[in-house]
Amino acid sequence: MAELLLDPKIRLWVFLPIVIITFLVGIVRHYVSIILSSQKKIEIIQVQDSQVMIRARLLRENGKYLPRQSFAMRRHWFNNEDTGYFKVQKRAAASQNPMTDPGMMTDMLKGNVTNVLPMIVIGGWINWMFSGFLTTKVPFPLTLRFKPMLQRGVELAYLDASWVSSASWYFLNVFGLRTIYTLVLGENNAADQSKVMQEQMSGAAMAMPPDPKAAFKAEWEALEITEHRWALATAEADLLVNEAKEQ
Amino acid sequence: MSSTKAKDQKPEPVVYSEAALRNNAVVVEYCRTSMAALSGSTAGILGLTGLNGFAFYVFAVVSLWAMFLIKAGPNWHKYYVSRQSVLTNGFFGALFTYVLFWTFIYGMVHVY
Repeated sequence: MAELLLDPKIRLWVFLPIVIITFLVGIVRHYVSIILSSQKKIEIIQVQDSQVMIRARLLRENGKYLPRQSFAMRRHWFNNEDTGYFKVQKRAAASQNPMTDPGMMTDMLKGNVTNVLPMIVIGGWINWMFSGFLTTKVPFPLTLRFKPMLQRGVELAYLDASWVSSASWYFLNVFGLRTIYTLVLGENNAADQSKVMQEQMSGAAMAMPPDPKAAFKAEWEALEITEHRWALATAEADLLVNEAKEQ
Repeated sequence: MSSTKAKDQKPEPVVYSEAALRNNAVVVEYCRTSMAALSGSTAGILGLTGLNGFAFYVFAVVSLWAMFLIKAGPNWHKYYVSRQSVLTNGFFGALFTYVLFWTFIYGMVHVY
């Protein structure tokens, strides 16, 4: 395979600009989505629900460190048939269709505007502006299957598969720069698509149960079948054994 | 006597601080990204091609791991739940960054 010789001007005017444009567009997108993002209104009843859920879960998981009576008391407060919190509180079954909630709609629209639109617009612009250049060569051999992926816009049947066209270089950048955004903009940045997942992971305290009624019922059941097994029953004996051994 | 010894060697229940663990994971991820970018650039400047480049990536990951372990010292279990996960978490995500930087710098230096 004969080596191709590329004009160094391609490096200066095509190869480098694509990297810089992709990176800066990501940064701009981050700040635009900050501007557009609306503070979610949180109702006090939702916060209350989520905190109660957390308390019930903690009781379930760590109740073994409580004496039996304390555990039973707390469970009684949640689960009693007549006065228990899970039984008394009647929440409307939330069956919100996101389409009926205008706030949700605008949020979805904003998400599309900040995520999909720049991708299409900038991708199209790069395709139009820098079309038809071979920009670089990946430093490892690839099979022919990669040709349509790496050589968009350059349909040469006999070209080695490791050459990369300008449009494909743009897409490589879009996907490869994600982790760099995390580095530059910090965690939870809007330029990163996986942000939604992060929110789910970290926002445990703020996460509202989407349907409080079902969540209450599930938690009630889980608490009801929890068996209390006091972990500290043998604490004194263990302590004495340790003391005796140290001496 | 031997029975009490065996009882003592049984690992105590460990309580992890969720926030601290997450923070550690974030820091490790930062280091990993920086490592991928730097080693990718290095591989590009050196002009490594083919398997050499991927071997260099593995070398970089392992040496970063070794640095973490040296830094953490014998008390590594105070910071991480398991040493293996520090090595393997985000291996392929960072590989993508590595390949991008490798290709970029290789293209800048060696192709033209």
